[in-house]
Amino acid sequence: MKNQWLEFLFGFVTVKVTGKGIERFINVLTRNGFFIWRVRRHGTETITFKMRLEEAKKIRPYVRNSGCRVSFLRRNGFPFLLRRMMKNSGFMVGAGVFLLIIFLLSNVIWGIEIKGAKPATEYKIRQELDKMGVKIGKLQFFVKNVEGIQRGLTNSIGELTWVGVELNGTTYHLQVVEKNEPKAPEVLAPQNLIAKKKAIIVKTFVEEGQKMVDTNDHVEEGQLLVSGEIGQEGKNPRQVAAKGEIWGETWYKSHVELPFKTNFKTYTGNEEVKHFLSFGKVELPFWGFGKTEFKEYETEKNIYKLHFLKWELPIAYINKTIRESEVLPRTYTEKEAEENALELARKEIKSQLDEDAIFKDEKILHKTVENGKVILDIHFKMIENIAVGQPIPKETNE
Amino acid sequence: MAKKWGQRIRNWMASNMDLPQDVIMDLPRITMIGQIHIYIENHRGLLAFTDKELRLLLKQGQLLIKGNSFVIKTILPEEILLEGKIDEVLYLTENPGGTK
Repeated sequence: MKNQWLEFLFGFVTVKVTGKGIERFINVLTRNGFFIWRVRRHGTETITFKMRLEEAKKIRPYVRNSGCRVSFLRRNGFPFLLRRMMKNSGFMVGAGVFLLIIFLLSNVIWGIEIKGAKPATEYKIRQELDKMGVKIGKLQFFVKNVEGIQRGLTNSIGELTWVGVELNGTTYHLQVVEKNEPKAPEVLAPQNLIAKKKAIIVKTFVEEGQKMVDTNDHVEEGQLLVSGEIGQEGKNPRQVAAKGEIWGETWYKSHVELPFKTNFKTYTGNEEVKHFLSFGKVELPFWGFGKTEFKEYETEKNIYKLHFLKWELPIAYINKTIRESEVLPRTYTEKEAEENALELARKEIKSQLDEDAIFKDEKILHKTVENGKVILDIHFKMIENIAVGQPIPKETNE
Repeated sequence: MAKKWGQRIRNWMASNMDLPQDVIMDLPRITMIGQIHIYIENHRGLLAFTDKELRLLLKQGQLLIKGNSFVIKTILPEEILLEGKIDEVLYLTENPGGTK
């Protein structure tokens, strides 16, 4: 039979017919292919029925001969709905604008919270953020992503050890760790100083405590250097925290291998930027089409998610930067390789020791060249502070 | 004479060739669902319609349906679907149609 929804889509009207010979009129209509439904009688001379909107427009010639009067009562269906919507288009526009405004406001930065920073640092951070464009009232699309902000802050502000940047809805939360934390209080518990490794004493400097070793002495690891027990022997010994620096000569052996030829990657400086819109998992490019012409490249991908109120929309703007890279071979001569290997060894040793350790001497013990590599065994003499604190166990007086 | 011949041939075909009689002999096919629906195929036009009565023209004679609160759900040139409470279905014939 008839499809209600289809009728609704094309629209239908309720027709009221008055007069005599209505049945004849209906016969005429049906025979001419008009589709009529819901015929109802109201009183002796009135009938109402429904018919399609398009057919209702062609009804006029048939009415003329029938001696009936026709009027249209109700208009239903999508075309009329559309017309009404057009009439009240102000409402629609308003609703659209409203959604747009909410959408825009959901993507604006509404707050920046900084935690864990001193007022001075906080001020600096705020200034730096301003420079980067992270300001209250700015749109999030035009701001770097969280990692970028984090990197920018740590690079440009020296006082920061670490910054955690988190975007929570419309607010940026910054968790700051500053470098110059208040110094830990000095240990005042009684302690000795002992050697942390085998060494020959070069220089001693004792602030507090009884010195037990002298220059040019050979000490083993764990040997007592400065005693925390002072006072005359046997008579009321006092325990103090021994303090001081004992500089000793220490020895290290290191083994380095360095190939003559190495390949490393550099960027050529050529780059391409592509823009995408992603819906769910599908990425659609809208600026920057085509494949990259670069042979070797690396891609950086920034995703800007769109928000609506507190929800994250499945739509996101993706910005891809493609940087051309090239592989450069580097070749050393044997002498250069040796020097570089030595430098490498120094760095390695240095990284294991305290900052104030000094190189005294270095000696290449063994050098071989094989498989395109130079292999060195190096002996280093270092001067460093070998004293470490060790608490004195409390003696129980018996 | 000719009409009678045609009638006889149709009768014969309907009974011997196992074809539906309404097709062969142009008779109305009436389907009723309880008292609430009546579906008439092969009518020849509306003669009268009120909410208590529906009179249809057939090829031979008329069909009168009585009841109350009638609404024509659909009407097509040869079909009609009536809804309401149906009490009677009557054939009004001068020359009875559909008899053998």
